[in-house]
Amino acid sequence: MADGLRIPADLIRRLPATFGPALNDQLRQWELLFPAERRQLQAQLEWLSRLPRDEFDRLFAPLLDIESRMALPHWDSSAAGLSVRDVGVLARSPLYPQWRAEVERVFGKIDAAAEQPGEIQHLPRLLVCVLPPGIFLKETPLWPDLSAEGSWLSLDRPFGQILPPFAAAIAQRTVPAALEQDERTWVFECGARFTSLTGATVLSWADLDALRREFLRRLNAVHRDLGSVDQTSEELRRVDIRRSAGPAVAANPRALEFVRSLLLSGNGALVFNNSFVQWGASEAFRRAQPQVLLACFGIRPRLKPFSSVVLFEDQSRSNPAPDEDDPAGSLVDGLMLSKYVYLSVQRVVRRPERTLTIMAASGLNRVLILCPAKPALLRSPATPEDLTAFALRWLAS
Amino acid sequence: MTRRTLLRVLAAAVSERLAAAAPPSRRLPRRTVLITLGGIRRQESWSQPGLRYIPHLYGDLLPRSLFYPYTVNEGVTSHFNTISSILTGVWQHVDDWGGEKPASPTLFQRLQSQTRTGAEQTWVVTSNKQLTANISPGVNVILSKQLMVEAVERIITGQSARSRLEREQILQEMNAIFETDAERIGWGLPSESVFRDPEVKRTFVSALATFIHGTDAPATGDELTFLIAREVLQRLAPAMLMVNFSDMEVAHSGSYSLHLGGVSRADRLCHRMWEFIQAAPALRDNTTLVIMNEFGRDPDGSSTNGFFNHRTDTECCRLAWTMALGPAAAKPAVVERVIRQIDVTPSIAAWMGFDGGPTPGSRLPEFHG
Repeated sequence: MADGLRIPADLIRRLPATFGPALNDQLRQWELLFPAERRQLQAQLEWLSRLPRDEFDRLFAPLLDIESRMALPHWDSSAAGLSVRDVGVLARSPLYPQWRAEVERVFGKIDAAAEQPGEIQHLPRLLVCVLPPGIFLKETPLWPDLSAEGSWLSLDRPFGQILPPFAAAIAQRTVPAALEQDERTWVFECGARFTSLTGATVLSWADLDALRREFLRRLNAVHRDLGSVDQTSEELRRVDIRRSAGPAVAANPRALEFVRSLLLSGNGALVFNNSFVQWGASEAFRRAQPQVLLACFGIRPRLKPFSSVVLFEDQSRSNPAPDEDDPAGSLVDGLMLSKYVYLSVQRVVRRPERTLTIMAASGLNRVLILCPAKPALLRSPATPEDLTAFALRWLAS
Repeated sequence: MTRRTLLRVLAAAVSERLAAAAPPSRRLPRRTVLITLGGIRRQESWSQPGLRYIPHLYGDLLPRSLFYPYTVNEGVTSHFNTISSILTGVWQHVDDWGGEKPASPTLFQRLQSQTRTGAEQTWVVTSNKQLTANISPGVNVILSKQLMVEAVERIITGQSARSRLEREQILQEMNAIFETDAERIGWGLPSESVFRDPEVKRTFVSALATFIHGTDAPATGDELTFLIAREVLQRLAPAMLMVNFSDMEVAHSGSYSLHLGGVSRADRLCHRMWEFIQAAPALRDNTTLVIMNEFGRDPDGSSTNGFFNHRTDTECCRLAWTMALGPAAAKPAVVERVIRQIDVTPSIAAWMGFDGGPTPGSRLPEFHG
């Protein structure tokens, strides 16, 4: 149980049945939660603890009513987490849409009322999404719908040449004292270009190869029944992954557990490099809420005939078709998935207008700047120094 | 001849005798081919930017169809529940992974019980792995993609004497699974003798050979599903055939380009199915083709990660469409009224001449011959 977190003994019992397992799961992992998650959970629970009984009952009454009509299985209020089978029961209930809407309403109310430390909530943030070199950019409009919201800035050279010094300068910036290491700078990348970047939490698809293969091997052995899925998931939650995750990730227990839950949460994080970057970046912003995040997309290999029906398998295994890249498909994927990172950041940060986004392609000498606050742009074409100074100024504002 | 092959030959001979002695199953004057497609959003299909992914549905089929662009899925937006809702005419809330049967009789079962048609008249050929033999007990359920998955898995994991994913080796492996393991991989076979019927056997052998040696090098689950479904239609001419295409469900793994490829492939295969029906004199005048997508997908920017999933209670996810071609769509039209997927069920039943049962769906008045 969480140190320093005081929860009235009967609070969890008074919550709706579907809340208990999720809350217990978070409390069980308290030491591995990111500072932002701890602050949020602490604020929510403290607010609920102080809420007068009649207001508490009023807040949850509609949800309790829906749950009472959902014919849910009996969940022990001390259970931690829901199984795939449990989630299936919930999701196929005729009342699931109402339940989901009501959960969102309740959390909206709690989060609006629960106070969190102001300084961190209002920090300026920076998101940089980068498409890889080696893709043909001439014939495809880049982020046409986002372009209408932002401004294109010309550069004096392709962004790919600016990225390494830019990333280093950003990672080594002076940060507010209140920010812990896990809240400063995160990098998600397909390759291993930033593995040794100082001052950042770097998660690389390439560097996690051994861990991904181990997870895929175990998941491929799952039988076509939910019991088997639940059992394998539970085993993968417990297995020691420090060795296969590599020394840098293994040295950070929170990042290590983040990687584990990322790879177990679907959304292609185990299957495609660009899905790993997109889903990882979205989850990092939701959970760790770093001040800066770099999402570097890559080139996906072309799927091979026949092997493509077993996506979880190694596509090269026993397949005589040669390995090939799919630059055209990777561009389509990268454009959509980088937009998704932007949209998820806009959704999860408390003050989206304080987030500056740079959408870039390595081979292109212009970038799309998105920021509701409309900061004054640079002279055109901007030098690497101009762009770096612009981003640092924004982060210090 | 080994003991095993001898027993197999004997069993085949017995089943052929029994089949010959059985009372003839009634042949119906009308037949329906129902194609269900996985999740496809408006923005990747029936919208100005989306039309490029469905050139055949839009350019070739729409002008001759009865098209319901506003078909709502009011049920659980998962594959098994949606397809079983379409087949029963009642919104289903059963196990998403096909562990339970639909709670109401399906069109196939009503057809069999009311018209004295046998199991050989009712077939399901499906790519989606969430569909199981439970989708409609008493019907031949062919998990075509699962056959290929099994063959590929056996080869790459060393469970087979064949060691390379080369076309001829895959063909041999699929034939071996078909011969000995069809039930183990989940196919629904109402009668043990079905696959001993020489015509049924020829149907599958021919479909698998066409798949492996096809001129356009087919290699995906949906292409195999199409070829098996086409052979079933050509050789066995069932009264009702349901086909499911699901290559677009690669979206769950987040490749947008591969999702779009799956949408375009489904568009092409639907058109090929229509062309095949039109080119077959025995089918052309009596076969209605109904094409429906199961649902859309989640909106961009949603907390469920947009096109990856189909879980939200949004128009983007719930709004589907229905296209009918052939004799039931004698007067092509775009019907802009909002309908529900479960309205299609009694409409198919009525057109085929049987009672769709006491379902909440309303028969579509335009849907008649």
